Amino acid sequence: MSDFTKIALQMREDWNRRISHDYRFWMSESHVSDEEMWRSGERDLQILLDGISEAGKKTFLELGCGVGRLLKPALKYFGGVIGIDVSEKAVETARHLLGSAPNLELHAGDGYTLAPVQNESVDVAISFAAITSMPTDVAANYLLELHRVLKRGGILRMQLYLGEEQLVCRNDTLHLRCYKKEALLESVAAAGFELEWLRELVLPFQVSFKEIGIEAVIVSLRKSEAAPESAAVVSRLLLPQGEADGAENTSGADIECWMSVNYAKELAERGETERARQAVEYALSFQKSASIDVRDVIDRILNRIEESEQPAPTRQVSQSGVFEANMAVLTELFPKAAEQVRTRSSSEVQVEVKETPDGPVLYQQGICLDHPGKPKSAAASWAKRLVEDERYLKAAAIIVYGFGSGYHLEQLSRCAGGKQIVVEPCTDTFAQALKIRDLRAVLRELKGLHVGIAEAWDFLEPESELVVRPQTQALFGEHCSQLKAAFHGKRGFASLHPAIAVVGPMQGGTLPMTGYTLRGLMGLGQRTRAVDFSSFASGFHALEGFVFDKARQAHLQGHYIEMMSQVVLESINEKPVDIVICMAQAPLTGRALTELRKKGVITALWFVEDYLRFTYWREMAQYYDFVFTIQKGQCLDAIKAAGAANVSYLPVACDPDIHRPVSMSEEERKRWGSPISFVGAGYHNRQQLFAALCELPFKIWGTEWPGCKPFDRLVQEQGRRISPDEYVKIFNASDININLHSSSEKDGVDPTGDFVNPRTIELAAAGAFQLVDERSHLAELLTPGEEVATFNSAADLKEKIEYYLAHPDERKRIAEKGRCRVLREHTYQHRLKAMLSEIFSVKYEQLKLRQDRSPWQKMLKRSEPYPELLSRCKAAYQRGEEPNLDGLIADVVQGQGKLTETEQKLLFLYHVRKQIIRAVAEEGKQG
Amino acid sequence: MKKRYPDKTNVLLVNITRLGDMLQATPTIAGMKQENPDCKVTVLVEKQFTEVCHNIPNIDEVVSLDLGMTCRSLAREQDGIIDAFEYVTEAVDDLRSRKFDYCLNMSSSAYTALLLRLVGISRNGGWTSDDEGYRVIESEWAKLFASSVFHLNRQYNSLNLVDVFRCSADVEKHPKQLLIKVTEKAREYVNGLISSHGFTNKGPLIAVQAGASQAKRQWNPQKFTRLINILLDQLNARVILTGSKKELSIIEPISAACGSKNVMVAAGRTDIPQLSAMLEACDILITGDTGPMHISVAVGTPVVAMFLASAFGFETGPYSEGNIVLQPIIGCGPCNPNKACTRPDCHDLIEPELIAELTKLRLQSDFNHLPEGIADSNKVTVYRSSFDEFGFCDLKALNPRRGDQMERFRSAYRKLWLSDLGGFEISPPGKSAPSLRQLDGAIEGMQEVVTCAQEGRRLIGKLLNLIRDESSSPRMLGQLNQELTENDRKIEQLGFHFPQLGPLTRMFIFAKENISGTEAFDLASQMGGIYDDLDRRGRKLAAYIE
Repeated sequence: MSDFTKIALQMREDWNRRISHDYRFWMSESHVSDEEMWRSGERDLQILLDGISEAGKKTFLELGCGVGRLLKPALKYFGGVIGIDVSEKAVETARHLLGSAPNLELHAGDGYTLAPVQNESVDVAISFAAITSMPTDVAANYLLELHRVLKRGGILRMQLYLGEEQLVCRNDTLHLRCYKKEALLESVAAAGFELEWLRELVLPFQVSFKEIGIEAVIVSLRKSEAAPESAAVVSRLLLPQGEADGAENTSGADIECWMSVNYAKELAERGETERARQAVEYALSFQKSASIDVRDVIDRILNRIEESEQPAPTRQVSQSGVFEANMAVLTELFPKAAEQVRTRSSSEVQVEVKETPDGPVLYQQGICLDHPGKPKSAAASWAKRLVEDERYLKAAAIIVYGFGSGYHLEQLSRCAGGKQIVVEPCTDTFAQALKIRDLRAVLRELKGLHVGIAEAWDFLEPESELVVRPQTQALFGEHCSQLKAAFHGKRGFASLHPAIAVVGPMQGGTLPMTGYTLRGLMGLGQRTRAVDFSSFASGFHALEGFVFDKARQAHLQGHYIEMMSQVVLESINEKPVDIVICMAQAPLTGRALTELRKKGVITALWFVEDYLRFTYWREMAQYYDFVFTIQKGQCLDAIKAAGAANVSYLPVACDPDIHRPVSMSEEERKRWGSPISFVGAGYHNRQQLFAALCELPFKIWGTEWPGCKPFDRLVQEQGRRISPDEYVKIFNASDININLHSSSEKDGVDPTGDFVNPRTIELAAAGAFQLVDERSHLAELLTPGEEVATFNSAADLKEKIEYYLAHPDERKRIAEKGRCRVLREHTYQHRLKAMLSEIFSVKYEQLKLRQDRSPWQKMLKRSEPYPELLSRCKAAYQRGEEPNLDGLIADVVQGQGKLTETEQKLLFLYHVRKQIIRAVAEEGKQG
Repeated sequence: MKKRYPDKTNVLLVNITRLGDMLQATPTIAGMKQENPDCKVTVLVEKQFTEVCHNIPNIDEVVSLDLGMTCRSLAREQDGIIDAFEYVTEAVDDLRSRKFDYCLNMSSSAYTALLLRLVGISRNGGWTSDDEGYRVIESEWAKLFASSVFHLNRQYNSLNLVDVFRCSADVEKHPKQLLIKVTEKAREYVNGLISSHGFTNKGPLIAVQAGASQAKRQWNPQKFTRLINILLDQLNARVILTGSKKELSIIEPISAACGSKNVMVAAGRTDIPQLSAMLEACDILITGDTGPMHISVAVGTPVVAMFLASAFGFETGPYSEGNIVLQPIIGCGPCNPNKACTRPDCHDLIEPELIAELTKLRLQSDFNHLPEGIADSNKVTVYRSSFDEFGFCDLKALNPRRGDQMERFRSAYRKLWLSDLGGFEISPPGKSAPSLRQLDGAIEGMQEVVTCAQEGRRLIGKLLNLIRDESSSPRMLGQLNQELTENDRKIEQLGFHFPQLGPLTRMFIFAKENISGTEAFDLASQMGGIYDDLDRRGRKLAAYIE
């Protein structure tokens, strides 16, 4: 019998026994009823699935599904649901409890593989409180199996415990295994996964035991392209010393016995005498194998069972006058929230009130918003645990998501003082809380209170910490995700300092946007680095002069792009970055992007193209963590479906330092100016429409225009390419700038045109007047008729040209308003702030982890005693330098003023190193 | 002798990395002590030389810098840089706390210059740096040092760097030799080594140093073998091959090729004190321009020294009376020390027979004349080391060449610097001016330099007037500045066009680079002084050329 088979048999036997005893107790903390168990399952599944969308199309698998606590809610969301468990008893119970569902598959597994499940057939796999009890070798093997069954880019989310490794017997199937964070990260990487994020798991009851160094976490992994190592390697990385068979370690029987005793005690306290007696029996069955003596405790429980048979008195829930008193304080302190309660609360949301010995608690959709039995003491221990983490003590504010009945806030203000800002998404729940408890003291301790579904997150402070009540998260998942995204986005700007590379294309209209993007990032104080390929364009085109066969030419150009990709990789190897932003047509291959992602670099594409005309996103989207588009609707769906992890709309923008009003001499005005102008390439629809304007005083600038009439007269300066500086002059010197979005298929104005071209925003920023064709996305950027003038056909254009040429004041007014709007909302800084907020909100943990591990952090910490050195380190870090001497003195220039003492010392070190290196080199040369 | 800072009480001598440099500083240290008996001398050296410094007389304290560790810290990057930063902070604080009143740094390295700026010693004789991090040379002698070691100028220098170093520190009195302590313990060790070797010959004990710091300065091992065989045969000599462990790869084949019991390999078996004792025990040392050459001179053992490739006898030759120096005559020598050479033809200009003959003669007695025909003056010049009337080391050719132009300029420059920088009275020769043709037009060039210097002085006069006049237009100042720049460029070019004028113009360039301050009038006045110096020196040099 193989080692794995032996362990699997043990696991099966143990879990069959536990399920037979009381599956609710051994499967969840909510053992009062199946309903409660399902609710807790829903809550936990919501936590696990945070950020996973479009579940309906996806296949879900749970390893260690037990009796289906999480499968039941999963059935609602996922197209296909697979549950697998080593215990036949558990699978049998699950079948009974879940019934037959067309999208459900249940398997009693062999205990170390996912054998019935096909390769690459699963989109999302989870394991909640299951892998934690498995022997490490088994867990390692399952990691490889999960890698096997997941589709490319598939997600694995596991609930685990981090901390010092515990001494657990190899055949122990109950004790929670703890792994060191570094070991876990190395082992999952070896198993072929890349880390998405790692978060602490917070539940309404204690799951982390930080006082003894144990933290419950959820880890989100993505299947990477890397081939996994063997199970032995993964296991060794996870637990280098391995697990012992010997009895010197803690025994599984002990804990099973002890848990049963505690369960019996709890049941007795709750008055469930019959189940309590069963639990006592179960505990006593371990008397022989367990090394602990529980007889005294069991005696006391049995006494308690007898006492409990007396019925407990019930308490009156309602308290007259409480609501009015609460409202008075609320109105005084948080008038907006009071107004919300007065005007928005209704009885639509079913909020139940139940009594506990500590006081009343609220239930919403069957979920208890506080601890169902001991809300006060549970809240006290929750608050105590929270402030043990010094982040919360140091934070300027603690944002608490979920008001509940306020027990936790009461306790938190005792531990952390009055710095809580509470967000309660449900007005009815909040109103109900005001009715059942005197919350005046709680309200007085709050720093802020936001009731209802907030859309603006202005109150989020970067120096604050966020605490999410899982019950509220379970009820308002989407809203909670928005809050978290906004919070992490905001905090990202305050605490993350990633090095960002911007990779531009070799040529074309996006090339200048690369520069604007860089400047925008720099304006936001980001650490940026340009990867400029413009000088490679001539080489790329030179190939056309050597090989004339188009197919071979394309083949060679493919090699050329491959080489440029390699250049990016080498450059980033030498000088690492955390985020790569690729502009459209950046010459990066899928292989290069995969390499970057393997190194933990976040990849983003700003796809500033018409997705219907340029379709390379179909192949490339899967290689990007983020794709930003200038179109909405179907574009976002299509790119998501092509495999991009996150797709968002991010329209084009202007660079106010480039696109600005300019003063010109009379001569310049004569050269660049005209009553009517157009700058751009000669696309089909433009040729078609502009031919009709040939009688007007009209100048056309740009390339690809035909040499025939009337363009031979309209097109300026031999149809050469116009630089940004030049076209800004044209914008400024023209009375009317026509801006017609290009189309190769449509004549004139494209009636279905959606996205807005850069020219629209750039013209507005230059303070120039433009007539732009109507676009469906335009109105949200510039208000037509007020901030921009539009046309919808050739006839309309002609009419408006005539009108606006005759109304210079109106032109001026519209142009001024347009300029104000774009400067206020549509600069590259605005766009890049939005882009980074999105990246920070999704990848905060990954970037934070990377930053904390970055060598700069150590260097910054060490330089703290030397203020001048510290500021020099910070400046070098900000410039995106490497943490070495050269990086530190890159801006120390001799002869540019007096050197400070720190600069002199660093230069001294620089010259020492140079001299010694030279001496060694000379020695080598001579010898 | 002209002195800037004759009085010194607490001196820091920076001599970071070389044993030879340390030894060459010994006359300066001894002289300092002689002239300022209460003066405390501290030397700053690289950690590995700390021990060696204990064998140098007159040093009161040794402070070391661990540059190797610093580099290793820097190589670790990240917090290694902070380690290195902390180390330099501690070192600077330590040096500051010692409150030196004078510093002599003759290492031209950028890092020692920066270090001294950080330590902030007010009076300096050598290199330091200014507020902006530029290196500055404090004394005229140190500027001469920098000009003389500038590759193209080296051959026009006849002042031993020991003397230039000494004068940079304003030291006049000195022991006219290098100094090193030899301990009884080392002597005992060496005697044991020699007596246990089992020499069968009874002749002179001759040390041979075959290794050198650079491959191109290392004479062919086969020639050493031939030389040793001659010495064994003709002098019944006992030969000791000295050197370091690293040099065994050169030395062992020589020993093996000789195949004689009378050749002992001491290389790798002695530390510095033991090597000193070993050389003291020997009758003579045959060597290149090496550290052991300086040690031998310091322990009073004469040397026969070959100055091959980049080595130049006048510059770093043996600093005591009565040593023999051989300098090959070759167009490319002395070559650039920073360039490797794959065809060292200069080695072939010296034959083992000549070295054997010179060794034999020197063993007999010190001599001032060579027997006829012993050394071809077209291939090699044989010199004897001695001291002139002002106490400066010199080399006198024992087989002089006729009409040696280079020698004429060397001699003229020697007089110029001794007179102009040292303040020694040296009269110009009589009226026998050289023919212009003979000197490749250098005299004309010199006249041009003088003219440029005077033009510079005139322009500075105008500039000072403009600076004084508050109504001066920036355009006029700019124009004048342009004229000055053009004039200076011409001076620099003359130095390149007439290599003989290189030392003169290089001194001008260094002086210009060392102007300090920010106030325009002051800067212009300093510049005026520099033109005056050039004018005076140009005229003097012309006068000294015999």
